[in-house]
Amino acid sequence: MSQSLAVRDPVGRPAAAHEPVAALDPRRMLQLALGALWLLDGMLQFQPAMFGKGFPQMLAGSAPGNPALVARPISWSAAFIGHHVVVLNAIFAAIQLLLGLGIAWRPTVRLALAGSVLWSLAVWWLGEGLGGVLAGTASPVDGAPGAVVLYGLLAVLLWPADRDPADRAPADRAPADRAPADRAPAAPFVAARAVGRRIAQASWLAVWLGLAVLALLPASRAIGRAIADTTPGEPAWLAWIDTHAASALTRHGLLAAIVLAAAFVIVAVGTFLPRRPARAAIILAVVVAAVLWLAQGLGGILTGSATDPNTGPLLALLALAFWPLSAPARSAGET
Amino acid sequence: MDGPVWLTGIFAALMLTVAVYCAGRLAVTRRWRRPTELDTDAGHVLMGAAMAGMLVARLRVLPAATWEAVFAVGAAWFAWQLLKSRRRAPATWRCLHPAPHLLECGAMLYMFLVLPPLTGPAAASGIAGMGASATGSRYSFLALVMGLFMVGYVARTADRLPSGRTADRLPGARTANRLPGGPVAQSNLPARPYLAPRCAALCKIAMGLTMTYMLVLTL
Repeated sequence: MSQSLAVRDPVGRPAAAHEPVAALDPRRMLQLALGALWLLDGMLQFQPAMFGKGFPQMLAGSAPGNPALVARPISWSAAFIGHHVVVLNAIFAAIQLLLGLGIAWRPTVRLALAGSVLWSLAVWWLGEGLGGVLAGTASPVDGAPGAVVLYGLLAVLLWPADRDPADRAPADRAPADRAPADRAPAAPFVAARAVGRRIAQASWLAVWLGLAVLALLPASRAIGRAIADTTPGEPAWLAWIDTHAASALTRHGLLAAIVLAAAFVIVAVGTFLPRRPARAAIILAVVVAAVLWLAQGLGGILTGSATDPNTGPLLALLALAFWPLSAPARSAGET
Repeated sequence: MDGPVWLTGIFAALMLTVAVYCAGRLAVTRRWRRPTELDTDAGHVLMGAAMAGMLVARLRVLPAATWEAVFAVGAAWFAWQLLKSRRRAPATWRCLHPAPHLLECGAMLYMFLVLPPLTGPAAASGIAGMGASATGSRYSFLALVMGLFMVGYVARTADRLPSGRTADRLPGARTANRLPGGPVAQSNLPARPYLAPRCAALCKIAMGLTMTYMLVLTL
């Protein structure tokens, strides 16, 4: 069953004749989710508002507060985009669509993931001002350290390679490695398969401890105001949720920041724990990501002016890549 | 806040291409005796024509109420197929996976119901001239959910899209007609290879992406 591509239709029509159904391993599922998010980004980039002057103004708005070395290229690129906004925005949207389709189509997955890393780094700098990390204005509720950098990190962690032969598909293993075909994978979670456990855990620590630090910065303590800032343009039901959350947190900004930071720290150490508490930590990470996404007004998607869904869905996807595995993590048709 | 008309024009042209191509599939499937999913192809013909009319007002061929009735029937059909598929396998001319097509019909219904009638200046530019303020509604969360489903469906369809080498290895792709015992003798192979599987998948991808674009415009 290792290389089976086809699942037969009981009436005799092979599904493979028009839709080769390959069983998905967990990493491929996460790759497809990443591809779907790129597709969504591309479509958001095609929104009418992105073809106007507001888009380059939004990019230029990420420059203030950053060191000159970071800010100058941002201002220059925003001005350049402002002069050719229609053409360049269409190109940006097309690039994101191609990244999504490239990740989804197996023959181009490596190329698209490599492109994701390069594109996300470029956009993180020139489009998000490094998430405001160097400007001192970064707040997890506002989307720090920047959604797009998480795309790049996920592209690295979901790279279709395996450091340990036990994680490879049986047919791809060297003969000496085939004997223990049914033993548990060496990688404790999907994110460790390509880069190894230590590097994956280091990246996890960097993200969640970084979020904890950012949550305690003075700029982050006004959580109520940050949430209230997301409400303009939102549909009534979401604005109602965010307005009430903002008013509840306005007087307890410091306490809320401490609780949020504590949750980030618990999540950060979660991958070092045994399997059961590690799973609890991952579930907490997904819940925190969902709460953050709500606080971010679903990334502003429903306002017609968002270029991505913000950090909430990306953090949840990252958490799923660290879900402790208990059984062989791969099956047929894996990438 | 008008969107670029050329962009909606490109999507409209894409939808017309899909509609014409799927109509062609329906026309040749009997003549060439090659199996295809008739309900999917018919649905894509209708959706392609309807979406082209929503994107570019001049391409409208039927009033919105008629399209609403058409897609309500389509949704009922795929919902029925979905229920039936739980009990027994579908016939060769029906789609294997009705759920995405049910959602496509639902998305079409949603867009026809949520978009105000195209009259006055908006009529010239179709959906691009609507802008978020005109189309925003308390149900925009539905559009977001359907859009997320559609990008997931597109990703999964692209994942199954065979490369040239893989397609040649697929049962029924080329081997069926070359087997000495004939296709009928090989119970595991279809009598005829499926009609242009890669093109069918590309149609689904194009349809899913265009539908996502339109749903995003209604957010």
